[in-house]
Amino acid sequence: MSEQGLIIRGLRAGVAGTPILKGIDLTVEPGRVHALMGPNGSGKSTLAFSLTGHPNYAIESGSVTMDGEDLLALPADKRARAGLFLSFQYPAAIPGVKVANFLHAARQAVRPGGLTPAKFRTLLMEKMDVLGMDPAFMGRYLNDGFSGGEKKRLEMLQLAVLAPKYAILDETDSGLDVDALRAVGESVNALRKSEEGKQTGFLIITHYPRILQHIEPDVVHVMMDGRIVKEGGADLAHRIEREGYDVIREETQSIA
Amino acid sequence: MPSATAGDGLLQRFAQLPSGREKPGRFWRIDLENLAVPEQAAAYTEPVIEAPAIRGGFALDLRTAKERHSEIFARAFGAAVPHNDKKFAALAAASWNTGALVYVPAGVSVDDPIRIVYNATNGALYPVTLVVLEEGARCTVVTEIEGSDGAFVCGIDEVVAAENAQHVFASVQSLPEDATAIFTRGAKPGRSASVSFDAAQLGAHLSVDTLDVNVDEPGAEGTINVLFFPRGTQHVDVVSTVAHNAGDSQSQTLVKSAATGNGQARYLGNIRIAPHAQHTESALRDDALLLSKGAHIDSVPALEIAANDVKAYHGATVGALDEEQIFYMTSRGISRDDAERMIALGFFEPVVERFPTEALRERIRETLAAKAAQ
Repeated sequence: MSEQGLIIRGLRAGVAGTPILKGIDLTVEPGRVHALMGPNGSGKSTLAFSLTGHPNYAIESGSVTMDGEDLLALPADKRARAGLFLSFQYPAAIPGVKVANFLHAARQAVRPGGLTPAKFRTLLMEKMDVLGMDPAFMGRYLNDGFSGGEKKRLEMLQLAVLAPKYAILDETDSGLDVDALRAVGESVNALRKSEEGKQTGFLIITHYPRILQHIEPDVVHVMMDGRIVKEGGADLAHRIEREGYDVIREETQSIA
Repeated sequence: MPSATAGDGLLQRFAQLPSGREKPGRFWRIDLENLAVPEQAAAYTEPVIEAPAIRGGFALDLRTAKERHSEIFARAFGAAVPHNDKKFAALAAASWNTGALVYVPAGVSVDDPIRIVYNATNGALYPVTLVVLEEGARCTVVTEIEGSDGAFVCGIDEVVAAENAQHVFASVQSLPEDATAIFTRGAKPGRSASVSFDAAQLGAHLSVDTLDVNVDEPGAEGTINVLFFPRGTQHVDVVSTVAHNAGDSQSQTLVKSAATGNGQARYLGNIRIAPHAQHTESALRDDALLLSKGAHIDSVPALEIAANDVKAYHGATVGALDEEQIFYMTSRGISRDDAERMIALGFFEPVVERFPTEALRERIRETLAAKAAQ
């Protein structure tokens, strides 16, 4: 079972000819919560988009396997069907596409044939309740005119409905008020307790450790200038909160 | 039937008048000035009319209506479309061989839509649909244009709505993709009346549509909702005009179009506000989506505003599918093809949902989905 996990080896990637990731080694283990922290511009979102197959991000070298499967050989939709999920920092608005229809299409694509429409509806209502979402959401157009908090709640609803093997949360905490942040934390924890989600491995990308008060990380990775410069336990996140990134930067530079 | 002399005059006008439409060029391939008109016209055909009871009124095929209610026929025929001044209206007015007249008396509200189906199966079809609403009357008319391969349909729709009347006139054209469909439509809403023209051009090789709303009375409201989606070598040419000739009037024009394959389209959206038409509010929104390299849509909003105390808004966009939207959907496991189809359908949805009846909306969505899947 040595292949289990979302295993990133020597990943170099960039956008529009500019190298951003300069050799990332990182393994997200099933059932565990990994936090990826780092200052703005360190390459965290580039890693998220490179893993999920955004067409603007070019992989230069390295490998990514998910439970043994070569992820980089797959287009974005097949990565999702293989069990990868990204909660977007800035989800796209798609006017005219209703939330309910979109969620049903996504669930059918990722977990084909599992649920009758009635059972799917029950599942949605249950998950929306955890997130404190109004059922009227279902009839709205996807992210169209949504507030920042509503968009993030919808990302969390998709996470709950798709119950992926590996979930990347890209700055899901940014711009959220306390209630929305708590709802995000509860949603992730509810998934982790469920039968479908107990083996889900999380990569929680964040600038501030705020969200980690709601979701306790098992491992913390610190990224700077396209590299993982430090790893540790939950206490590392608390240190960053107290001391800031500059102290970590000085430490890692003096070691190098 | 129109008298021989009137018909001959109109046919002469048809031959003399320029179409004023798109000329053949690099993209547009059809010469409307020299359009071949089939020699063989169909014999008079009654359309299929499904109408609820109209208290004191009627929905009859045009020949019967003209015989039994000649005064009402005369009030509507030529009232909202100038037959002598529009090339294809002149042809249809001279040649009509099917049609319907809907009449709703004062204060009568017809809740269920009146459905009229024209089926062009044998020779050229010239349908004329007339709607007359008296004061405070209310009704919805849906016309469906169908036919067999190579059908030629050239028709007129005219709506005359008296004070405070409310009317929705929806038309869905789903002819085979080698057919020709040419419609000239006009509406005259009375004081504080409202008329909506909803047109979906889904079929035909050539589809030419003219929609005119003449807002000649204060407080009147005109609405135009149009969608079209040429694929293959389909050509669509739509010109809509809202002319505000009275104050305190309103209009909304919403046009959504897409093209794929070598589909060609031209849309010209006119808004005219006369000098004395103060306190008019007018909005025109026109979005075009290009789904292939060979597809082409010219989209031109044209506003002539001669009054100084009005609100007029217009916006037009032409673009391709958004890669960020596609990535978002594919990142949820939805295939690229399905994502493109869902986004294209979503693009049309704001105008689809303005069409009356869920059955009609579903039919339009299904046809659009089939086109987007090509």
